[in-house]
Amino acid sequence: MSRHHPKDTTLADFAAGTLDEGRSLVIATHLALCGQCRGFVAALEDVGGAMLEQIAPVALSDGASARVLDRLAPRSLAPKAPTAPKIWAADRDELLGYRLGPWRWVSPGLHYRAVDVPAAKDSRVFMLKAAPGLKLPSHLHTGTELTCVLAGAFIHEGGRYGAGDCDDADHDDAHSPVIDAGEECVCLVAMQGQIKFTSILGRMIQPFIRL
Amino acid sequence: MPTVVKGAKSSADLAALIEAVAADQDRAAFAALFDYFAPRIKGFLIRGNTPPAAAEELAQEAMLTVWRKAAQFDRNRAGASAWIFTIARNLRIDVARRDQRARLLDLEVEDDLEQPAPPDALLLAVERESRVQAALQALSDDQMRVVRLSFFEGKPHADIANELELPLGTVKSRIRLAMNRMRELLGDLT
Ligand SMILES: [Zn+2]
Repeated sequence: MSRHHPKDTTLADFAAGTLDEGRSLVIATHLALCGQCRGFVAALEDVGGAMLEQIAPVALSDGASARVLDRLAPRSLAPKAPTAPKIWAADRDELLGYRLGPWRWVSPGLHYRAVDVPAAKDSRVFMLKAAPGLKLPSHLHTGTELTCVLAGAFIHEGGRYGAGDCDDADHDDAHSPVIDAGEECVCLVAMQGQIKFTSILGRMIQPFIRL
Repeated sequence: MPTVVKGAKSSADLAALIEAVAADQDRAAFAALFDYFAPRIKGFLIRGNTPPAAAEELAQEAMLTVWRKAAQFDRNRAGASAWIFTIARNLRIDVARRDQRARLLDLEVEDDLEQPAPPDALLLAVERESRVQAALQALSDDQMRVVRLSFFEGKPHADIANELELPLGTVKSRIRLAMNRMRELLGDLT
């Protein structure tokens, strides 16, 4: 069960389709692990349905209906949605249909792998794997960062973030996360804007995430 | 013959029409869905700044998607209008952004960390819909307006600020308060 959820406005942007693709991937991952947020997104889609019913209709051109009826092809039956993939497993190089790059060593106890989101222009999407007890570089955001924990846990000023939890940080939050003892922590991160790392460790990671 | 725009239909009637398309490839049921939804989808797209000619094409495209995907509709999971909203929304994404996010929005993922809820704990779509209707009543007119502009029409905050002649900060905080309120009222839905 997740205890840390994305902001309501982030979920609303996701459900509206206006959240960028990189962050949408992080949200889709959280939703796969969080029934409560799935419920809220479904409710927002009901809001969309209600507004669609109330909207002033704009008539289509004459004969549009007949033309579309002419285009209807016979359907083969049973076109149910294909069964969905597992979201992620340690031995898979794919996440919800996105290709994952190889794990790269960053510093003792810390690895990084890119997530190939072709359309992500101003955001970077990647996974971090950190050893138990590791202190991650403290950093100051100057953009937005969205994180979903896939395995293990980290702890920072906002609390403990375990598997399925989402950290939807504000641009002015300063964080210095520590990886929980006992288990390696794997996170999915979408980052926009610049990050200013304040430690040597932070500067080591910068080349990988093209800051 | 010009397309006739009919008035409100009940959610159950609309669901039955989609089910008839799914089960029997019922063309009359499809025509009724077209008459009801195509002009609304066109209106929806125009509000979201799609040029009218493109909105006309896309509304037809959306209805063809309804025909193709009708068998995926499940009235226990989503109301008819909500389901058609997601089709129109995904088309709007495909046209505007040309990326993969519509696929992410449609994903039905196998949940491998969380225990699935037992079937009797799942809220039926029809109950959720009535909760949503009540929650919308609880929003102020100002909040309702920003929810419509930002969520439904998908407009950037800066455009909304222009349209309503409000400072950007006011728009942002109004959207945040409206969504927090919605979450308060609907956050227990699973
Ligand atoms: Zn959640």
